[in-house]
Amino acid sequence: MPGFENLLAALTLVNLMLAFLGVVAGTVIGSLPGLTATMAVAVLVPLTFTMEPSSALIMMGAIYTGAIYGGAYSAILLNTPGTPSAIATTFDGFPMAKQGKGDLAITLACIASVTGGLVGATFLLLLAPPLAEVALAFGPVEYFWLAIFGLTLISALSEGNLLKGLIGACFGLLLACVGVAEISADIRFTFGNQVLIGGIETVSALIGLYCIPVLIDLVATPDRHLKVTHEPRGFRFLEALAISWKHKFSLLRSSVIGTLVGILPGAGGSIAGLVAYSEARRSSSRSEHFGHGEPEGVMATESANNATVGGGFIPTLVLGIPGTPPDAVILGALLIQGIRTGPSLFVEGASIVYTFIYGLFLATFLMLPVGLVIGRYAYKAIITIPKALLVPTVAFMTVIGTYAIRNSISDIVIMILLGVVGWILNRYGFSPSPIVLGLILGSIAEQGFVQAWTIGAATGALPKMFFGRPISLVIIFFILISLFYPVVRKRWLKHRWRVTHEDE
Amino acid sequence: MKMSNDNRQDKDMASVVMACLFIIMGLVALWDTTNMVDSDSYVFPRAIAIAMILFSLALIFWKLAKPVAKKDADGVGASNFRRIALVGVMLLSCMLMPWLGFLISGFATFFLLMLVAMYDAWTPAKKIIYPLIAVAVVLGFYGLFANLLQVPLPIGTLFE
Repeated sequence: MPGFENLLAALTLVNLMLAFLGVVAGTVIGSLPGLTATMAVAVLVPLTFTMEPSSALIMMGAIYTGAIYGGAYSAILLNTPGTPSAIATTFDGFPMAKQGKGDLAITLACIASVTGGLVGATFLLLLAPPLAEVALAFGPVEYFWLAIFGLTLISALSEGNLLKGLIGACFGLLLACVGVAEISADIRFTFGNQVLIGGIETVSALIGLYCIPVLIDLVATPDRHLKVTHEPRGFRFLEALAISWKHKFSLLRSSVIGTLVGILPGAGGSIAGLVAYSEARRSSSRSEHFGHGEPEGVMATESANNATVGGGFIPTLVLGIPGTPPDAVILGALLIQGIRTGPSLFVEGASIVYTFIYGLFLATFLMLPVGLVIGRYAYKAIITIPKALLVPTVAFMTVIGTYAIRNSISDIVIMILLGVVGWILNRYGFSPSPIVLGLILGSIAEQGFVQAWTIGAATGALPKMFFGRPISLVIIFFILISLFYPVVRKRWLKHRWRVTHEDE
Repeated sequence: MKMSNDNRQDKDMASVVMACLFIIMGLVALWDTTNMVDSDSYVFPRAIAIAMILFSLALIFWKLAKPVAKKDADGVGASNFRRIALVGVMLLSCMLMPWLGFLISGFATFFLLMLVAMYDAWTPAKKIIYPLIAVAVVLGFYGLFANLLQVPLPIGTLFE
């Protein structure tokens, strides 16, 4: 049972310092396009090898949580998700920044990240063992439907042109197929080019599709990058807090979604953010404002992706199965520390685990001041740096960030070319977001589909495999709601408007 | 009236051309799947390629059947020269990197992009400060990635 003594153990000066340093380092690394939370944890994990196990865990958790939040900065200010978890943050974060509300968006992202982080940590503290069972109930077909659920966001991102969104998603799905097939190891769509055998790296594609078009447009005119209608008004904390309170249910729902998706091994923050964004949009009375700078969109994504931190630790600690990629790195570090994960860890290693969980709370609380201060300076820097310095700095960051992922110059070339393609497509109404969705969800969808197909065919129960499992049916239900609710709602509102005006 | 109507409505031929390109892409993808041996490899991409072709055909019919309001041209006054220069410099940087190494190609890229993105006059102060900032940024990132994050940045074959 979680005890007061574990809370006190987490609150030592050393742990406080480590949590603070971890959050700062994670936030800075996460904010750089190309450097993911996984990389932040992997790079800094050797620092923890000589520490006490609980202190090491606290520092790794702090780095992870800071890196996930840090991804929001570049998503909001540069339209480039610093980490894949922040993809959906760009949908409303960058439009807010363009409208001169970048400072508000960053503060909202910070509050939402803290809320999500706290909800995830609470689930980890109170419900870890039973929730870990949920992860085991997810088979390939459930992952397939989950990826399809993510793809239904296309209808929301297609700006009234669903066909173009669907074509873009197909293009992204085909891009995801480039290289060696995950299941059968056939080489696909490389056309004899050896560079493509490794496939298209997702994060570098994200940087290309989102950031290069911004740079191409930025350099073409002398206008400012972001609209500044007034001097920045501090942190705009109270304003952000009022907005957060107004959307408290959405914030909590997104945090719970993030936690539950985080529990599923391999799903990760990007799916959590996309699913939470989709749900927030579906249930919002201002759904038509989503994609045009709606604060609720930023909050939904950021709370969900930070909730995956606590959620991801549930299968990691209880089952020894990493929930998210950074958890896999942390799991490796735990083994080096001599900690054996599994259901017995919560009994035999209770002092370490609960001290770590309280440390995660601590790191999440620390993220509020740290995130606000770093975010403020990031915003100030972006709006005050002259264009002649901003363009080369951002371009340089995209190049070095892309190179760092696989140490490959070819990845930089692919990133630039995809950026040019993305810019051209965007000019003709093909938004980059469906392409990115297809690219990210492609491998999950294909792997789930092929595995489920193989099992279904082998057992002679193909339809039952896809449509006969309870969790699949629940996800299919949400897919149908996500697809058709906007249409039904629009018609219903139209009908109500007509009835009201006829009465008048 | 007719003239006005002609001015404001269009068949959106650009979208039709783009859809045709996607159909060609889908056909090429379908052709490539014929080289794959295992059904696990081609079922998914083949389904996606067919879906892309069908959606593109639907888009063509939709755009030809329904004229759309003509939009004013985007980005009037924007410099295409600078756009091309930006992409060209970035690609040039990738080509030079294996020979010159990351640091020198990084300096060259940064300085060239600074020239491309410069709209204000080069005052004497800017001539001194901007290059100094450029050097600081490139060295800062180089230090962060090469030393702290241990990323093996290219040294350059000319200097090996």
